[in-house]
Order: sequence, then structure tokens, then C-alpha cells
Amino acid sequence: MVNMADLRVRLGPLTLKNPVMAAAGTFGFGAEYAPFFAPEKLGALVVNGLTLRPREGNPPPRLAETPAGMLNAIGLQNPGLKIFLEEELPRLKSGRVAVIVNIAGESEEEYVILARELSAVPGIIALEINLSCPNVKQGGLQFGTSAAAIAKLVSKVRQACALPLIVKLTPNVTDISELARAAESGGADILSLVNTLMGMVIDVDTGRPFLGNITGGLSGPAIRPVAVRMVYEVYRATGLPLIGMGGIMEVDDALQFMMAGARAVAVGTANFIDPYTVPRLISALDVYLDAKGFNGPENIIGAAHR
Amino acid sequence: MLANARVLNLEKLTASDYLLLLEEPQFAVQASPGQFLHIRIKDSLAPFLRRPFSVAGAPPGKGVLQIIFRVVGKGTAVLSQAKRGTSLTCLGPLGKGFKPTPGLSPAVLLAGGMGVAPLLFLAHLLAKEQKKILLFYGVASITELLPLKRFLPPQVELHLATDDGTSGYRGPVTALLAEALQGGLKPGEMFACGPRPMLQAVAGQNRGWNFPLQVSLEERMACGLGACQGCAVKIRQGGESSYRMVCCDGPVFDGQEVIW
Repeated sequence: MVNMADLRVRLGPLTLKNPVMAAAGTFGFGAEYAPFFAPEKLGALVVNGLTLRPREGNPPPRLAETPAGMLNAIGLQNPGLKIFLEEELPRLKSGRVAVIVNIAGESEEEYVILARELSAVPGIIALEINLSCPNVKQGGLQFGTSAAAIAKLVSKVRQACALPLIVKLTPNVTDISELARAAESGGADILSLVNTLMGMVIDVDTGRPFLGNITGGLSGPAIRPVAVRMVYEVYRATGLPLIGMGGIMEVDDALQFMMAGARAVAVGTANFIDPYTVPRLISALDVYLDAKGFNGPENIIGAAHR
Repeated sequence: MLANARVLNLEKLTASDYLLLLEEPQFAVQASPGQFLHIRIKDSLAPFLRRPFSVAGAPPGKGVLQIIFRVVGKGTAVLSQAKRGTSLTCLGPLGKGFKPTPGLSPAVLLAGGMGVAPLLFLAHLLAKEQKKILLFYGVASITELLPLKRFLPPQVELHLATDDGTSGYRGPVTALLAEALQGGLKPGEMFACGPRPMLQAVAGQNRGWNFPLQVSLEERMACGLGACQGCAVKIRQGGESSYRMVCCDGPVFDGQEVIW
């Protein structure tokens, strides 16, 4: 049978070869998974959260397994902008990968500097503004939970760079739609949701919090229904294209997000379980669309609202 | 790097310790002492993540890897029920293992409990290099004693310690080692694996002794590949400290460089 479906998707100013991306913080800078498959297969690679200066990260333990998921409190360990530009980005470009850089600032100025510097170098297709890392005091969450602060920050970053801007939203709020609208009013092109849900685990032998950072971010299938609901709500609240994520392991999970309104999806925790998750989902999505006689992802995006 | 390893056999060694034989010819050839397999114990949501297990041996020409593990939680409890003939998806062999230095002898191995597993594999490598090998092995009690003779090359000199004195020296294995050093033992180099307090103790003592010391560490892991940056350990090198990853920078580190 002839392969009918065209997996390309458009997200505002961005066109991806397929709608399955690797989520920030789960795929390193791409090299770790290169032995398994060529990273150019990814719809896009969102690299680990990048800060202006190098960040050491949080004290261990940084991980705790939970039912159907895990908590992490890495604390944005990364080499900083300079090393990223000199060492990591050239390596990434050599593979013709669609690179999205996730940026986290300790202040509005740092976000602006990161955006300006990164938009001046070739090889990056978009920036993802991390407004929602729950694991560092200055991980953006202080901006990410206030609508006014989001609108102000996004508009400043918008003025500093010409690259498509993705704003990553936290689920740790009462009304995510309000934040989505704030990001839209600030000039965001695309929204990605959700980041991890803040949680904690107590070590009953010591009676103390298990993680070195005390709290961590919950990811994995445990959070999927929450994330699907939020994508569904935000789809109604804004006109912006959405990237959905939260516990995607199988193609049906990706379909749920797309039917809820996501134009693309990102895979995070599942990469740790099966390094081949992203290429597996791309193929399975192709098979699904063909079997349904659909031309492409457009046929299913937002289906739950029709 | 990712393979379906067949469960050839699962054997109970003590009340809570097991020997798992996995058939994976390529991994068996590639694996070196100190490296580990990252095993999906079950295709389930709990246990969910892979679990790292150090390779305890890979007898030449057999295509089989030996894993020795203790049931300590849900994951290992499920693994202890693995059925012969089924397969487990494994990432591996991962990590940087032990690096013996040519010419340095005798090799002193220091093991606490399950930490003996990668040292058994290492002993075979050292035996091939015709080195004198001493293994200092400590467990809580005689009931936890593994039948090490089955896994060790014959020339290894075994020194045993139990916390409760039910077999061998009574007390921590680090104290037994310290006594041997006082008695004139001069290690060419040392290799240690075991509970963190034991490793910390020997690294602390070694500041006075100053022998080359390699330690194999353990941390909670997710990806096993260096991408998630979860299994951090602080390392000091050239006056600067930073977090390194047990999965890909280790699990074996220079004992002098670990910040405990």
C-alpha cells in the first residue's frame, strides 16, 4: 500500500517534519540517544534547560520512582550559554536536527540576553521559554504562576528575538487558561504544556523528605489525564498552537493530546524506559493515520472539540 | 545497546540473594568489570523505571551474564520471580568500569554485601593479568554470606568479616582491612564497592594510606545514559567540584575525588 499520510505539522511560524518531539530535560543535548537513532528523525529536539551561567544542579538524591511515574529535582544542571554555543550546538547542527532551546533565566534580563544571543546564531528553529521549572528558586516558576509577570516577560523576550517563541506552562496553578492568555498577549507564538507537577516523597526510614531538594516534579503516565485536560482547556482559551506533553508512552496517548487540541506532542519520561519511544510513536502515528484514511495530523487535531 | 536478554536461570543463593543468568552474547562479550545492565524488570507502571545491576561475571565463550542481586524493594522482588525462558529488555553494558593499572600488585578488593558483585567480575580480569588478589568481604551475618568460591578464580585470597561475628572477623570489613594494612599488607591498588558509609570510611582512611583507590558508586537512576542527569555525585578534580553522573561518568570513580 502506498504511504498516504503526510506527517508534517505547522505550529504558527514553525513547520515540523512530524509532530513528535523530545521534551526538554529528557534527551540531553541529543548525543546520549544518538546510538539508538538519528536525532534528525525527531519532529524537534528540545534540549536541556539552558541558563546564562553554568548551573551545578541540586544535591542528590535527585530522583524518586513513584507509581506510574517519577519525581525529579535536577535543578537545571547545565553548562551555561557559552559552553552550549561553543561545544553542544555545533555538535547538534552536524546532525541536521530541528533544535529548540529551552531557556531559563534568574531574572527578566537573563531571559532577554539568552534570547538575543541564541537568535543570533544559526541552527535553532525556536526558543522555549521555561516559566515553570519547579526545582530551582530562579527556574522561572516565580514568573510562571503570575499572569501579569508572564505577559511582561514574554513581551520583553519577544522584542529581543525574532525566533518563534514557545512558552512552557506550569500545571501548578489554579487556572492554566489565564496563564495561556497572558503568554498570548505577551507575544508567544506557541504554548507547550504541561511541565511537571510538584510533588514529594518521604523516606519513612528517616522520616525526612527523600529528595535532596525536598520537592520534585512529577512526570510519567501518572500525570497524563491532568495534562490532557489542561490541553483541552487551553485549546478553548487561546488561538495559539499547542504542544502537549505529560506521560506519553504509546501512540494512543499522543492521539489523546492531539485530539484535545495539541498540534504536536513531546515525549519525556518514556525516553528513559524505551529509548526508541519517539521513532516508535512516529511510525505508529503514520500507521494510524493511514488506517483511518487521513491525509495527516490535521484530521485529528482538536477532534475532541468538534 | 538495547537487547532482549533471555532468562536462562534464576537461583536463590541465600534467603534474599539471587543469581540471575541472562543470555545475551553480544553484551557478554562487550561487558567489562564495573559496568552495569539497565534492566526493565517488568513491562508495568509499578515498578516503572529500569533498574541498574552491575555485571558479576561473563564467563568467556558462554554468551551469558551473571547478575547477583538482593531483594530490597518492589523491583527486585518482581525480578526474583522472573521465569526461565522469558526475556528482559536490557540497556547495556553501560558506564565506565574498573581500570586496573598494569604492574600494580597485589590488588586489594573491598566488598560490602552485594557490592561484591562487580568485584567478582574484576577478580577474573586481574587473575588473567597474573596479579596477587586479596578480597576483603564483609556482610552483616553468616546468613548473608554468598558462596563466593563458585564465582572467584582459585588464587583469590579471601578475608571475611561479619558484623555479628558469626563467621570470620567480627566487625566492619574496613576494620579488618585496616588491621591487615597495619600487619604489613601493601596494596598495589584497591577497588571497593559496597554501601556508601563503607566506601566513605575506606576513602577517609585512604587519605592516610594513599593507595590508588577506585570505588563503584550507586545512585537512583532514570535513563542510564547521561541524559536525565538524575544520578548525580559530587566529584572534585583539579581543585574544582561538580556533579558527575554515576551512569556515564561512573559508576567507578577515583576514591580520592568523590565528595561524600
